[in-house]
Amino acid sequence: MAGGDAVERSLIDMHRILTIARLTWKSAFRYRIFWVMAVTLVAAVVGLPLVLKDDGTAKGLTQIVLTYTLSSVSVLLGFATLWLSCGTLARDVEDCQIQMVASKPIARWQIWLGKWLGILALNAMLLALSGSAIYLLLQWRSHRLPADQQKVLQDEIFVARAAARERPPDLSKEIENLAAQWAKKNPRAKPTAEEIAILKTLFANQARTNLEAVDPGYYKLWVINLSSLPARVRAQPMQMRVKFTVSDPDPAAANGRTYGMIWRVGPTNSQQAQYLEEYLPPSSFQELPLPPLLDSSGDLYVACQNIDPTEQLFFPIEDGFEVLYRESTFAVNFARGMAVILSWLALLSAIGLASASFLSFPVAAFCSLAVLIVGLSTGTLSEVQQEKSIFLGTGEKPTIVKKIIDALTVPLFDAALKVVNLVEAFSPVESLSTGQSITWGQLGLAVGQIVVLMGGFFTLAGILLFHRRELAAAQINS
Amino acid sequence: MPATLENPTSPPIENNPGRQTAADDFAGPSEAVISVRGLTKVFKDFWGRPKARAVDNVDFEVRRGEVFGLLGPNGSGKSTTVKMLLGLLHPTGGHIEVFGHSPRHVATKSLIGYLPEESYLYRFLDSRETLDFFGNLFDLPPAQRRRRTEELLEMVGLGGVRTRVVGEFSKGMQRRIGLAQALINDPELIILDEPTAGMDPIGCREVKDLILTLAHRGKTVLLSSHLLSDVEDVCDRVVIYYGGRIQAEGTLKELLAKPDAVRITMPPLPRETMQRVLDIIRHDVASEKVEVDTPSQNLESYFLEVVRKAREGLSETSGATSGSLVAAYLRGDAGAPPPAEKILQRLTQAGAPKPVPAPAAPAPAAKVDEAKLAGLAKAAEPRAAPPAPAPAPPADLAKANEKLSTLLGKRDEPRK
Repeated sequence: MAGGDAVERSLIDMHRILTIARLTWKSAFRYRIFWVMAVTLVAAVVGLPLVLKDDGTAKGLTQIVLTYTLSSVSVLLGFATLWLSCGTLARDVEDCQIQMVASKPIARWQIWLGKWLGILALNAMLLALSGSAIYLLLQWRSHRLPADQQKVLQDEIFVARAAARERPPDLSKEIENLAAQWAKKNPRAKPTAEEIAILKTLFANQARTNLEAVDPGYYKLWVINLSSLPARVRAQPMQMRVKFTVSDPDPAAANGRTYGMIWRVGPTNSQQAQYLEEYLPPSSFQELPLPPLLDSSGDLYVACQNIDPTEQLFFPIEDGFEVLYRESTFAVNFARGMAVILSWLALLSAIGLASASFLSFPVAAFCSLAVLIVGLSTGTLSEVQQEKSIFLGTGEKPTIVKKIIDALTVPLFDAALKVVNLVEAFSPVESLSTGQSITWGQLGLAVGQIVVLMGGFFTLAGILLFHRRELAAAQINS
Repeated sequence: MPATLENPTSPPIENNPGRQTAADDFAGPSEAVISVRGLTKVFKDFWGRPKARAVDNVDFEVRRGEVFGLLGPNGSGKSTTVKMLLGLLHPTGGHIEVFGHSPRHVATKSLIGYLPEESYLYRFLDSRETLDFFGNLFDLPPAQRRRRTEELLEMVGLGGVRTRVVGEFSKGMQRRIGLAQALINDPELIILDEPTAGMDPIGCREVKDLILTLAHRGKTVLLSSHLLSDVEDVCDRVVIYYGGRIQAEGTLKELLAKPDAVRITMPPLPRETMQRVLDIIRHDVASEKVEVDTPSQNLESYFLEVVRKAREGLSETSGATSGSLVAAYLRGDAGAPPPAEKILQRLTQAGAPKPVPAPAAPAPAAKVDEAKLAGLAKAAEPRAAPPAPAPAPPADLAKANEKLSTLLGKRDEPRK
């Protein structure tokens, strides 16, 4: 009985939330905001490739038709979302319509959520429209490329490839070994606490280098377990994406130079193992075909022998070697990318509504746009974090005042960067442009981090502020 | 806590005025629907410093079924009080209960209809959409929402402009649609803030008639106004605000009666008869204390009659028309009960609709003199009848307004 009442009550709550959402939706149509945005977005999608000509390659086409247009759509919708979300609530308060609504049997949180949902639905519609335009344009323009570039497009862009990496090694044992060796060599040494800290760093770097380095004539083996992949995925052609650096730091010497290596793919001691000799440039990602020669337990063995006579090669632990496999189709991947962008927009609308919950329209719009600009300034935030100062590039010796200012502001920049990274950890535009899969797991994580965690924080703050606000005070003050 | 309050969706009772409504669970017929104790509101500036004391230690109660007036000049604290009753402003001090609950209690609001002092409507919605939107907030079933929307639009005279957006409406039309939205839920408590502001005299009269109809159905009405005629015509009890404080409180009869004077109204008498009557009166009362005048109907009654006659010969209008009958569900006869039941209902009802209260204050009059007496005698001769018999005329409004202005001070304070 109580359960039935709770269900009925939830339905009534939802009905009221949807009533507000429909009102928000209706206002966007009646005030022609929707149509203006739709035309602007489609014009950006269609117009940008007309203004910026691609170079006739698959990558050039992707850069213009996918990367630029998708980025433009995201930014345009981002600004519009902030503007609309600030306006829909702040204007209602300032024009006093909220008094008519709040005096009806609807809770403040329902009004707030109704507005958020209305804006989200609007964004979903606009994103679906512009996304479809981009997708169709991309398909249409791809047919005008030369045959070889069309193949590149099909193999590298119009795919949804996920990456598998070797499990990160545990460096602690290697560090302990190095420390023990050093202590054995230097039995009389009694390092200070500061020196011990430096030594630890040195040992960690050394341990890492030992695992990443491949000396001339030697080889490095990666074992990647792909047993969790479906059989049809394991049977399809794969690629390996590799990146290495060289010990010679002189860029002039390294410029244009390639380094020889022999790749061996297949189980150890297997007759079916395949060999591939390649000469590759350093410090850039390279993709090579990878036959799906997995052993019976689903492990893929890949070894790389350094055949350069002089140089050590270093394959970074994080991204030195990855196996790319087709996880899904481009269309599905594209849709998931759009869903990540929609998550960003959901967060922005929560930020806009939260500001408008206690601020007037112009102030709320200003504050929300400031938040967006901070979000787009990760480069500056990272620089401040690295330099430990907000006075970048001055080269002057810091004064006491500057030191105090840095002490106060740098932690704020650090915190801002951490928060922004939670959101920007997902870059659907880059993933789609490089044919990388945005998996369901990544999408779930994006929704969790961006919408539930970050959006939830702003939603709670906004609802709390709106609940406490005197809704008739704006009129009194005016 | 009453169960019906917890279920705001329980449909309002439509066709039986005698039946118990959800509000009955909160308060009996003589109990307070609204209870205000020591209510104070101080507006503060950005730094939290007191800026204006809009309402200052106010106490009053509104009992079930009465029409209660908040009367006062602009800026006296009426609207601030109303907004605190609705939870739109937070009191600085004091205590408010509406149907036994805090003004912020969401479910209680399903029993309230509110018309603010300006019709704050969504300009992009048309009249039908506006009522549908507010009906949705009350979670009315679609069929009921549609029926009430149609009835209310007819009632407020906007049946011909259903699909025109509210933003194109005149102020009077916006007031009408605002009034309609306040009644969409068949509320038990109707809070009307300056309901006749911006309305033409016909609309004003219709609003007042509607208030009386609602009161007859046992609804509680809180009317906030600075228009004396509005309050005088419909209110049972009033409080008079000035400077955020209550200056006077009571029934209109208590407040306006002059116990030391008697007024007799009768058809004109021949000169000799009148002289004899006056002689008899003067025998007991000093001449300067006797006032004789000819009652005149008020301008509202005269205007309404002129319009009524004009309408008989006319005509279309692109604006609001005169409202039709009060919506059936508000009259309490929705669902058209069979004639026999109707008769039974009428017979069991308390009585005829409340008449417009007779004027309690005497109309201004001249002192008795011979010329006046001659004039009165002349009036006894046959002459052209006035356009129509008027209901008992209220006092000369202009003079009464002037009187109250003098009483309360002429300064028109800035709006709080």
